[in-house]
Amino acid sequence: MATKPGYPQPLSRPLKIYAFDPMVALSSNDTTIARSSSKKISVDVANEKLAPGPQGARIEVIDYDGPNRRYYTPVDLNDPAILMQGGLEPAESDPHFHQQMVYAVAMKVLENFDHALGRKLRFLKVSKDRQGREKFMSVPLRIFPHAFWGANAFYDHDLIALLFGYFNASAADPGQNMPGQTIFTCLSHDIIAHEMTHALVDRLKKLFTEPSNRDVLAFHEGFADIVAIFQHFSFPSVLREFIQKTRANLRENTPMVTLAQQFGRATGIGDSLRSAIDEPDPRHYETATEVHTRGSILVAAVFEAFFVTYQRRIDELIHIATGGTGILPEGDLFPELVNRIANEASQTAQSILTMCIRAFDYLPPVDITFGDYLRALVTADRELLPEDQYGQRAAAIEAFRRRGIYAKNVFSLAEESLLWECADEEHFEPFPGETLREEVISDAQEVSYVNLPKSGKHYPHHKSRQRFNNFHHVRKNKEEMRAWAKKHAAKLGLDPALKIDPIGFHASFRISPQGQLVVETVAQFVQTLPETANSTSEDFGGVPFRAGCTVIASADGSVRYVIRKPMVSKKVSKAMHNEAAQRLEEQRGFVNKFDSIDPRNPWYSPREYEKRVALALNFEALHRRAIL
Amino acid sequence: MNPKPKLSSKAITVRMYYVGFGDSFLLFVPASDGRHRKILIDCGKHQQSVKAPNIADVAQQIIEDATDADGVARIDLVIATHRHQDHVSGFEKPGWDKVEVKEVWMPWTEDPNDPKAVEILKAQSTTAGAVHKAAKKKAKLTLGATQQAASAAAALAENSLTNAKAMKTLHAGFAGGKKIPRKFLPHKDRTADTFQVAALPDVNVHVMGPSRDPKVINDLEDASQEYLLLARSEPTASNRALPLFQNLALHPKEFAAKHKSLTLKSTDIHRLNNIGDDRELAAAISNEAAVNGTSLMIMFEIGKAYMLFPGDAQWGTWNAAMNDTEWHELLKKSTFYKIGHHGSHNATPIDFVEKILRQDHFIAMACTGPTQKWTDTIPRPKLMKKLSEIAKGKAKGVIRSDKQKKPYVDLNVPITGA
Repeated sequence: MATKPGYPQPLSRPLKIYAFDPMVALSSNDTTIARSSSKKISVDVANEKLAPGPQGARIEVIDYDGPNRRYYTPVDLNDPAILMQGGLEPAESDPHFHQQMVYAVAMKVLENFDHALGRKLRFLKVSKDRQGREKFMSVPLRIFPHAFWGANAFYDHDLIALLFGYFNASAADPGQNMPGQTIFTCLSHDIIAHEMTHALVDRLKKLFTEPSNRDVLAFHEGFADIVAIFQHFSFPSVLREFIQKTRANLRENTPMVTLAQQFGRATGIGDSLRSAIDEPDPRHYETATEVHTRGSILVAAVFEAFFVTYQRRIDELIHIATGGTGILPEGDLFPELVNRIANEASQTAQSILTMCIRAFDYLPPVDITFGDYLRALVTADRELLPEDQYGQRAAAIEAFRRRGIYAKNVFSLAEESLLWECADEEHFEPFPGETLREEVISDAQEVSYVNLPKSGKHYPHHKSRQRFNNFHHVRKNKEEMRAWAKKHAAKLGLDPALKIDPIGFHASFRISPQGQLVVETVAQFVQTLPETANSTSEDFGGVPFRAGCTVIASADGSVRYVIRKPMVSKKVSKAMHNEAAQRLEEQRGFVNKFDSIDPRNPWYSPREYEKRVALALNFEALHRRAIL
Repeated sequence: MNPKPKLSSKAITVRMYYVGFGDSFLLFVPASDGRHRKILIDCGKHQQSVKAPNIADVAQQIIEDATDADGVARIDLVIATHRHQDHVSGFEKPGWDKVEVKEVWMPWTEDPNDPKAVEILKAQSTTAGAVHKAAKKKAKLTLGATQQAASAAAALAENSLTNAKAMKTLHAGFAGGKKIPRKFLPHKDRTADTFQVAALPDVNVHVMGPSRDPKVINDLEDASQEYLLLARSEPTASNRALPLFQNLALHPKEFAAKHKSLTLKSTDIHRLNNIGDDRELAAAISNEAAVNGTSLMIMFEIGKAYMLFPGDAQWGTWNAAMNDTEWHELLKKSTFYKIGHHGSHNATPIDFVEKILRQDHFIAMACTGPTQKWTDTIPRPKLMKKLSEIAKGKAKGVIRSDKQKKPYVDLNVPITGA
């Protein structure tokens, strides 16, 4: 909607959502669920030009109902009737509200990623032109709130879309739902945030959908839960209520620390789908195989880091409030105290979530393990915040340790040993100058660009799209990066004789606590062991053995970190070759284990059999059996 | 009529029948009183078998083979490892009512007095029935990949239908009917799972599965829940005229005219319309594995012979057994291994083959046969090869029921010596 010149543009747009889901919003008696007052909340979403859908620059909602072969009319969030009430009121029976809610929650997740990563993510469609060369198109992520019939929701890589199912609640055991009532997965904040995170993780690390070890898909699932749960802490009214209710013990079993209550109860699971609270047990990490169960270990570790840090941060407040005893009096807490505690909780949660997302730039491009993630987390956080003011890094290391998650090839669990090794600058030439300049400038433009609906002007997001659409340009830069990598192959842990794929190059912009602008450039390279590339090798089940590295450089292109997953090759150092050989063996072992527990194993067609491990990355199948 | 097996006082004679895709074993176990006791483990054939004999004939044959000199058929112990058609269908055929049986053993999930067992059984049978019906219908109405998935689902689900007639024989049939003691194993008390019975002198029985651990059990039921939840009220072609939000629903053509930028390409529409189309297949596969998961896993210790019959046990049961210190030690001693689930990959864990089974120490038998649908995966050539390499008597390799000239094969498993 074009506004009249001269009116100041609002930076954000208020929209209403269910803080959890419609069931939690209704319940009032259940002790694990708070009063209904705060269950319908308003969130501020960055203001952008919106067409009916809502259709924005990076997200568009398309309400096509597959089972019924119908579309539902798109909501126009710019309609004065909706603007005047700050967004539509939450209602299960109003598809326009459903469209509004998926848009709002997905945008909040996107904003969290933008903020933590210091750059703006766009979704890319990669296709081939007639000569078989790659084409990159910037496209919006599509969201289908009523896509299909099923107790499921998933991110679809090919459609570049989030698909939400709907179904009727169990007639026999519907929890607090009405028997047989229609349950919309698109009305669960947690499910939306979870699926949106899958899309973003896939955008950042496209090879994390290749299950080359048992942590890869578990990481995808666990991380999606982390984002969904921590987003609860960004809703102040809800947070205050649960702090009052749990007397500041946020570890209690409430919707704050659990996932998708309505879904869990409607499908007869009887409780929430998953929880962030566990009994730490290192054996669990050794033995758990199901990806969501494994992912929960990661979630619990991160949540513990949060809780310990939060406790430390509120200790002083409680001390003051209790005259030094530390024992809170009976009855309701003072509202002022609740406000202060809530403030600490939401800051801690934001800080932990930012730390978790920021780690992505410091991850290898392939074959991630939870141990790699811990190292990335520690390194990324320390780069930006050398002082661990509230001890959140220390808390994270300890929480991972308590769950048996260790990093490979490190001396100890001291923070210094967990940091990725700094690259020896003398060994690397800086990134090629022109490519670097272009990348930094275009990424900077993207970050500073705000898609505000100024009247009478063309929307500049077309400009930034041009960058991706200029295939020639993209290809030229890619070739330069490839040449750079080839030159340094052995030190990157790659085999110069095998094709090296530059799969990503970007700049990020962050503000340090001292107020300085920190600019980093990150390049990622991948290569594939040829004999595993084809699906003919039964040992690998369609997931090739890949090597890769992430190279982090300063603004001037001088290399600071090289995070490697080396290739088996005579050209790399002996140590790297051995590491790679071990990884190759482990991948074989993983496939064997996979086969042992895969109930589909005997029933594959020969073609499916060749790709059976790769097929496991299908989020639709993965999310079946009520585990989303 | 088959010739009677040549019995020995120093070896157990295992007669494995060719049933097609299915299991059937008759054991002749020497005892110190000079007589042999007979154990029948399963008798069934999968509907999808090709080039298979009539299972009624096999049943008849077994009864004849079990007939003593006085003309009376006697089997000391009948075991049904689990209620799949390819393990029990022979018991629905005539003739069993004349067979004198001393005991019948089944997995604990068959116990009619155990509420949890009844619940599991009901969930599995209901799912099989619902999937079978829906998949058959779908297979008729659809084409291409959807049709293929549906017909595969129907074929799989058929195996898990109630098999009521066969189960009736097992629960209440044979000469003596309900008076014959039925045991539902393993016991609730773990320490009772190594035992002896009067019917089988000189035999130590070790019951290793199916587990009663709630975590393992959940896997047996979960598969059905979602399917049944959805199958009940799925929108279909006939009720599609009633979309969710009628006032706001637009026909795709109408929508395209009004909202061009939001209109989907036909390939995307097709993809969306087909989500969940393989729901029956997914449910059939999980349910198949769940029923296999109820398999009785038994080891007979007779002298120096350690004979492992795992039924079609799946990872849950195997994992529990391998992690049990006592069972682990026994598994290491195996001198005979009945290859799980007709030789499929996921019924014989790699750790069992590579780390537990002792090289040159055991003989393996696979009761298997061709099907139309699963030729490359059952039996799995790689597993067969690996087991042949490490089994005793390399020239022989794994003894397979489908590689014999005769409709059966006899094997002697020594009870003396190493």
